[in-house]
Amino acid sequence: MTVDEHVAALSAALHGPARAKERMLTEVRDGLADATDALADAGLPADAAARRAVRDFGTVEDVAPSFQHELTIAQARRTALFAALSAPVLLLCWQVAGADGGVLSHTARLVGGVAAAAALLCAGCLAATGAWARRLPVPRALPRTVAWAGTTAGAALGVSGVALTVTCVLAANAPLAALIAVLTLASHAKVASSARACRHCARLA
Amino acid sequence: MRGDAVRGHLDALLLAVLESGPLHGYAIITAVQERSGGALELRTGTVYPALNRLERVGLLTGSWQSVGARRRRCYALTDAGRRTLAGERTAWHEFTSAIGSVLEPRPSA
Repeated sequence: MTVDEHVAALSAALHGPARAKERMLTEVRDGLADATDALADAGLPADAAARRAVRDFGTVEDVAPSFQHELTIAQARRTALFAALSAPVLLLCWQVAGADGGVLSHTARLVGGVAAAAALLCAGCLAATGAWARRLPVPRALPRTVAWAGTTAGAALGVSGVALTVTCVLAANAPLAALIAVLTLASHAKVASSARACRHCARLA
Repeated sequence: MRGDAVRGHLDALLLAVLESGPLHGYAIITAVQERSGGALELRTGTVYPALNRLERVGLLTGSWQSVGARRRRCYALTDAGRRTLAGERTAWHEFTSAIGSVLEPRPSA
């Protein structure tokens, strides 16, 4: 198997944030190229050097789980970051929009509370997978927990976006409310899609 | 000595070879092999995720360097990495000393 074939096989086995995955595969590809060059310099023919570099690397079945674990954590951190940042933005939006009384106001408080709780949980995830992980192993259930916290935050943002859209129809300051509605719906789309990817990664981990 | 002997000590080995200065992934692998006199064979595919993890937890910093068309990620120890390495060394010396004192044959009374 050539270096490119091996990297392609590894790529097919891995799922996670595109940039993190590409970074890993670039490093692997060029590391294998370095290994091939070193073995060729030591006297092996080019084909044999590449085969040996691939063999020393390990089979996809053997090494993919440790790569996937890192990618799953990267996806969890990404989801956590989006959710943690979205909640304060949402609360600020509600503050600026000044939701009126009745159902919308009640929805605002409920959704704000849910989003804030999810944001706190996600902020904890960022700490648990960062410097804290030097001393404490990352809990196995953490990616799945973040995925569902992110899903919850995404749903809360969606509900909020709809409520704000209704508000902007009723409010005197319609352009501002419409802008806020677009912002919360964009946040919802970002958090929800990241949480969906995180659920997928958590199933693989 | 293959995987089983190295597993559990990989982080410390990676930190140790970076003590004298930054290196890229393949140079780290060859440094471990050379410093062990060829006794430690790393499955190279386990090293890259380990480097990723050490960077994530703040024991290493990584930066890209381009050499022609090839891009290499260079790793350097952080202050936290140096402290962790010192702790790993102390723990290893205590461990080997304790095991050694049990394994050493006692002079018969």
